[in-house]
Amino acid sequence: MTEVKAYSKLGEALAKGEFILTGELEPEKTTDLSHTIHEAKEMAPYVIAANVTDSPLGIVTINSMAATHLIQKATGLECVWQMTVRDVNKLGIAGMIMGAHALGIRNVLSLTGDHTALGDMPESKPVFDLDSATLVKLVREMVDKGTINGNEIEAPPTLHVGAAANPNADPMGAEILKIGRKAEAGCEFIQTQVVYDLDRTIEFLSEIKKYKVPVLLGIFPMKSYGMAKGFDTFVPGVSVPKDILAKWKSVKKEVTDKKQQKELYDQYNYEFFKPFITELRKKDLLAGIHCMAVHYPRIFPKLKDIIEN
Amino acid sequence: MVVITTKKPEEEVFEALNNYKVKNVLVVSCGVCAALCQTGGTEGAEEWSEKLKERGFNVINTIVSDDVCDNRVMKKDLRKIDDDVKEADAILTLSCGLGVQSIIEVLTKTHPEIPVFTANNTEFIGMTERIGRFYMRCQGCGNCLLNETGGICPITTCAKALMNGPCGGMVDGKCEVGDYEKDCGWILIYNRLKELGRLDLFSKLRDPLDWSKIGHQREVVWR
Repeated sequence: MTEVKAYSKLGEALAKGEFILTGELEPEKTTDLSHTIHEAKEMAPYVIAANVTDSPLGIVTINSMAATHLIQKATGLECVWQMTVRDVNKLGIAGMIMGAHALGIRNVLSLTGDHTALGDMPESKPVFDLDSATLVKLVREMVDKGTINGNEIEAPPTLHVGAAANPNADPMGAEILKIGRKAEAGCEFIQTQVVYDLDRTIEFLSEIKKYKVPVLLGIFPMKSYGMAKGFDTFVPGVSVPKDILAKWKSVKKEVTDKKQQKELYDQYNYEFFKPFITELRKKDLLAGIHCMAVHYPRIFPKLKDIIEN
Repeated sequence: MVVITTKKPEEEVFEALNNYKVKNVLVVSCGVCAALCQTGGTEGAEEWSEKLKERGFNVINTIVSDDVCDNRVMKKDLRKIDDDVKEADAILTLSCGLGVQSIIEVLTKTHPEIPVFTANNTEFIGMTERIGRFYMRCQGCGNCLLNETGGICPITTCAKALMNGPCGGMVDGKCEVGDYEKDCGWILIYNRLKELGRLDLFSKLRDPLDWSKIGHQREVVWR
């Protein structure tokens, strides 16, 4: 039996086949990470690791490698450093991977990144020297072979590299073949885009099972009606089911007490996601859950409960 | 193949001329690509001639040349009007960026003191659907992938020029850049390869472009 190398808690849990929960942290346009660190501390008891985003939507934030390091240092919570290929060329990224290791980062999620044209510095040069698959390949060469372009690294980095997948993608066939490329490049885990459609998710996960890469399902519990509505309206390619929107709207309209409102939203999230996740686990399609709902750490005990029961 | 150009704002052109204190202008207009783009040709030459006069410039001559970008043609055409060239404080070209640099190259030895300006912005190497509808379909990357991608170029049709697309910015076959109005290049490739029964080519993991070969001061010199 081949020995599975694990460089992180996440890598170890995946190798053992444990069903895991990861969270997401979204540092902002700031040098002060105290809010993010507070949130990280709140979710830390419930998750094995938390992703740290890299200027999502092309809107510039504090550098994700620096933030990942600082959050890990301040909280002890292991992080998944999100690295997009949008802003740095191959040479720069290779340097950052070594730097990330030196800063104690042991997981990286390879992403293309939203185009610069979408963000708040649209005049920036979009780089995209690599893509999300070739970044995976680069990390694996550096880690497994200890080389970059065949040149030896004196002390090679050890990081696990994951990639994203979108079960909502249409046509789905193209997305599935793309996951095949990422798997071929050596991706060790997948975190999916947010899903709400169970049938579509089952179809997608069944299709990509052949690549034998553990999948963490992206979910987005909605902390309020405004959040649910905004997500439905503004996130391209993801629709929140109408009955959910109606249910969340009824909480906003009919319940005046804020505390009670919060409890109801939490409960409804629990009631929606529990059967959803249970069904997928029954079909052996998941290695875990990746909760992308930022600024909603109070939901994690409920998610932990879903996973453990 | 056409080098697609668009007109610069007039004020920008006049500002460039005024910065050099130009009075006497020779207009050289491209009769091929720029004529097609309506940024040059005979009409462009006449239009600019009028505009320059209105602004108080003295237009010495206007010529329309078939290949402003070809040093040989330019040398011949400018030699014919050498007296005009001598009299000019500046040359205004109605062509792509190649035209400007071709004229400078040709005049390096005989008239290095004459500045050459352009009235146009060079956009891209374009495919013509019809006049007024031009599309970038090739970036001259020097590493043509069309044989592998069903004849659709990912470098130009993908907004991120990805070698392994589509990315997560694709929704219903459309691209996140430009508000989901344009087709995602990698979905065009997927659909085309599907039609051809060659999705095996779509599945292929491709290495990044090799910028050591394409990134700088490229030239094709074979004799």
